[in-house]
Amino acid sequence: MLELMAERGWNSILLYGNAWRKDPFRSLVNFNFSGDHALARLSRSGEISVTFSDPWDAEITSGKLESDFVRAFAGGAPAIAGLEFTEERFVAACGKVPVSATADVEELRRVKTAEEIGCIQQACDLADRGYKRFVEVAEPGMREFELVAEVEAFLKANGAEDNFMLIASGGTEVVGMKPPTERKLQKGDSITTELTPQVNGYYAQICRTLVLGEPSEGQLKAFDIFFEAQNAAQDLIKPGITAADAARAQNDVFRKHGYGDYTGAKYTRVRGHCLGLYPDETPHILEDVDYVLKKDMVVIAHPNTYLPLSGYMVFGDTLLITETGNTRLNKTEKKLFTK
Amino acid sequence: MKRGLITWDKAELPPSVFEARLVRARASLAKHDLPALLVYSDVWRSTEGRHLTNYMPYWNRSLIVIPGEQAPVLLCGLSPRVYPWIKSVTIFEEIRPASKLVPTLMQLCAERGWTKLGVLDLPRLPHEVFIPLEASSVEAFDVKLDLTDEAEIAMQRRAAKMAREILTVELPKGVGLTDYQFSGLLERAFRRAGAEDLVLLFSTGDSVPRPARGAMLDHQFSVAVALEYRGHWARVRQSLPL
Repeated sequence: MLELMAERGWNSILLYGNAWRKDPFRSLVNFNFSGDHALARLSRSGEISVTFSDPWDAEITSGKLESDFVRAFAGGAPAIAGLEFTEERFVAACGKVPVSATADVEELRRVKTAEEIGCIQQACDLADRGYKRFVEVAEPGMREFELVAEVEAFLKANGAEDNFMLIASGGTEVVGMKPPTERKLQKGDSITTELTPQVNGYYAQICRTLVLGEPSEGQLKAFDIFFEAQNAAQDLIKPGITAADAARAQNDVFRKHGYGDYTGAKYTRVRGHCLGLYPDETPHILEDVDYVLKKDMVVIAHPNTYLPLSGYMVFGDTLLITETGNTRLNKTEKKLFTK
Repeated sequence: MKRGLITWDKAELPPSVFEARLVRARASLAKHDLPALLVYSDVWRSTEGRHLTNYMPYWNRSLIVIPGEQAPVLLCGLSPRVYPWIKSVTIFEEIRPASKLVPTLMQLCAERGWTKLGVLDLPRLPHEVFIPLEASSVEAFDVKLDLTDEAEIAMQRRAAKMAREILTVELPKGVGLTDYQFSGLLERAFRRAGAEDLVLLFSTGDSVPRPARGAMLDHQFSVAVALEYRGHWARVRQSLPL
């Protein structure tokens, strides 16, 4: 970050985090603050100071407390990482409007250190165990939010700081995932989930689909397509290919099977994304993203989408990009789960 | 993100509550001769939008537009695939996709002939929303609203009661567990009871309350719970011995 500052001519940089987007702050000071706001200031000499809006955060870190957080920005800085979601009153307190350092800092964050990869591997192991728990406890008659409560409890009991999780259940009428509802699980349901536990600040993800009872012909046929698409990306991903290449490899499988219409924004969001201090880091794996992937980036390839064969289905694993290819960090079997 | 139960129990919060809140918001608009109120909402800053519409952007962000004389409109960063669910738990009948919030807002303003807007807590808008709004042809005015009413207070009381009751039952079970294990136990109890979101902090007396870190809980410890129940937050702290 100091090299970045020298290159850009910044004599200091602010890294802002709020309760939703802690990641810019945590990219410099990996402390899981529990208050509303946190701000780190890094000077060209390497000196770091931190300010919090919550007295408990300040006390734990021996940081500065500003209950009126506008004052934390007094004095300003040439650049802010997280400027886009910084409240305008804070930006105004800087005096001269800083430039955004968000993209530069995110680029620094994309290539992970050995320590960061270790945290992501721990999160992956927990995601695998969490999905095992998901399969163990799901049963007809259970409500979606009760299933999520069980999985959440398991993840937290085993050291997760946080978890990003979406879920859906039902048949061909299901077009996407969302927070859990009061719907009761039924025999024949396809239950889709993304589990994304966070360990020491770092998120890892697993996407799997569970069918309660015997899968239908449509569910089996759909899974074969998802399996082929995810493998196409996993076989391809290595340094030098682009995010677009990884997306195209997945979408081409759907096109080959006559389901190309279901790879667009009407039915799906992204074909994967990067992982780190935020569960949905850029670059997204999309056919119009020409970002070149690098060694030691961590991505998930997930061809999650709606198909008329099965309803919405999900399938994906966290991948660490190595010198010549990638390593799958999840160990959960790659199959359509049934129970 | 929110991964607890997000719902709208109309026996608990009848539509008339939201109608009354919209009447108050519109009265404020009329007082300042403004045609519509803009409310920013994201996964963390959802209280104001939730109060007025019951909308919770469990992930992503949105703009809520409350015209003076027409139905509210949601400009939404979430996929249209979840619109049916959003409509089932909010007062919205009109939702517009808005991957870029301000351009979509400007389109709405142009359609309705609005040249000015009230913005709830204008200085608190995220920079990324504030700058294009300021640069637009629509003039933005800061509006403050009192978001307290009897229904709001009753829901906060319900959230606080839930927190106290669950803690009273569960707290003794923490003895001999790590704070991780105990947080799992509490997550299960709170989320099965319908908690939408939960922040748990623990103290064994050696520091202020902090997130779980693997510390062993003995016969003396305290738990600080921030609980969100159907959009309403309560903070409760209890210590063992009770």
